[in-house]
Amino acid sequence: MFRAFWRLSLVIGILLWSSFSWGEPKELRIIHFNDFHGFARPHRPLGFSEEMGGAAWIASLAEDLRGEKPTLFLAAGDMIHGDNWANLFKGESVIRLLNAMRIDAMVLGNHEFDFGRGVLRQRIKEANFPILGANVVGMEGIRRHVVKEVGKVRVGIIGVITPETPLATHPRNVLGLKFLNPEEVLVRELEAIPKDVDIVVVLSHCGYSKDREIASRVRGIHVIVGGHSHTRLDEPVQIGDTIIVQAWEHGKTLGVLDLLVDGGKILSWKGGLRDIMPSRWQPDPMAMGIVERYSRQISRLLDTVVGVAEVDLDGENVRDRETNFGNLVADLLREVAGAHVALVNGGSIRRSIPRGPVTLDSIYSALPFDNYVVTLKIRGKELWEALEHGVNGKGGGRFPQVSGMRITYCPQGEPGKRLREVRVGMELLEMDNTYLLATNDFLAAGGDGYSSFVQGLEEGSKIENLGGALVGGSITFSDPGRWVRELLAEKVKERGILSPSLEGRIVEACP
Amino acid sequence: MRVFVDGREVFLTPGMKVRHALIQLGLEPREHALLLRDRWGNLVGLDGALRDGDELFLHAEPAEKDPQEDPTK
Repeated sequence: MFRAFWRLSLVIGILLWSSFSWGEPKELRIIHFNDFHGFARPHRPLGFSEEMGGAAWIASLAEDLRGEKPTLFLAAGDMIHGDNWANLFKGESVIRLLNAMRIDAMVLGNHEFDFGRGVLRQRIKEANFPILGANVVGMEGIRRHVVKEVGKVRVGIIGVITPETPLATHPRNVLGLKFLNPEEVLVRELEAIPKDVDIVVVLSHCGYSKDREIASRVRGIHVIVGGHSHTRLDEPVQIGDTIIVQAWEHGKTLGVLDLLVDGGKILSWKGGLRDIMPSRWQPDPMAMGIVERYSRQISRLLDTVVGVAEVDLDGENVRDRETNFGNLVADLLREVAGAHVALVNGGSIRRSIPRGPVTLDSIYSALPFDNYVVTLKIRGKELWEALEHGVNGKGGGRFPQVSGMRITYCPQGEPGKRLREVRVGMELLEMDNTYLLATNDFLAAGGDGYSSFVQGLEEGSKIENLGGALVGGSITFSDPGRWVRELLAEKVKERGILSPSLEGRIVEACP
Repeated sequence: MRVFVDGREVFLTPGMKVRHALIQLGLEPREHALLLRDRWGNLVGLDGALRDGDELFLHAEPAEKDPQEDPTK
């Protein structure tokens, strides 16, 4: 009896050994894109002779690639926010597109939070694929990992997002959520994932340099499919036993990684990027239908009247003097950010809006730049320097439009000494006082030569998002998820009637 | 955060991207879109996220090299 049992065990053991050790290596293809930002329509990037991108061409290529071998299609975050094609529908259009493309899994990117948690919850419900975020605590509907059976390969997929997300979207969008250290979470999650998976893929929206750190520090990850840094990794990069891939941005490329897998190991791999060139193959009809349907809706939406201007909104003279349109935009920034004062560059306003019905298109054309609101904690001295710099640029894009303050300057004065008086509210500007200044991200970064704003950034200490407010540094507000034109459109809708006027905020006076 | 473009120090607020680093240096981002590489020589998009200490290269040679292709070809 014992001998029979021993023989049977031996036979079973040999069979098991031979099935593991002598089994056929299994093929797996991973196709991926990241940082799509709603760029569903082909566009011509500067420096290129022809158009690139286009979701219908990505979908078509994906179908061809799927036909060749078992394929996993992954999206590495920042998919639903950015281009008007996404933003005008709060990302719904993109989710429909990704459903049609039969995405297998997606990781949350920081910009997925830009429409607020309520909208994100809805988008997650609409998705036919799992949305991952292992290091996000408190967000409903997301999963830490999934296991997918692709052909004969069982793939464990874990998603992680940059822990800096609370500083990279409007603070209230992530209120109550925690973003944990991705490396620590991955170590834990690798333990939690079923042991019978053939390989583990990490979908990471942490950026390429972080992905390299993860690959070198966390063992047990076979592939990292990355995003966030918009890196064009022409070929996969291997760090230790981990292969890292990333496919640039805006749907201009699709990443392809072919793997041969056996016994929980990658035996060989080959990969690269396929440029999406709409002139070179046919689009996928279903994806094309979705893109066109929403594009038609955009045309209708842009023609929508959102309010009425009782006066002409002057965008012609914003580089020379105070204008009512400049006042409207500067007031908007100050109000949105809860700041003492606001300053925008005249060059950020590109057109006038004539008296009468105001369409969304007229607002979007007048404020075409993807600028967002930033609030700086700034000393009076720096504000003076900024205004001096601004008025010295009379006739140029840096000329200021302001809110919450009145400035007097002499255009014929000695360059660098033209500013004569600045009042914040009714009070004279105090050089040593601290003021909250709302501006756009372009000027906050020192654009148009506003270098005095950057001084605050140099001195800024560690910034944290505490209870929905940014504290601990020189920035008190930042909302990279909403363009100024979108804020203005909301304001016009809310008010209905616009009648901004000249209020003597910028006065020319020479001794 | 502090990043470097060709070794020049740039200060940015959290959430700012590659384009903001160029703006601070007085450069028109779109004109440099196909020149900008990370420390491993990879092309990065203007809306790419940055981390404290990141290095970008416009004209200087990156210290390390990942595999490369010319994206315009």
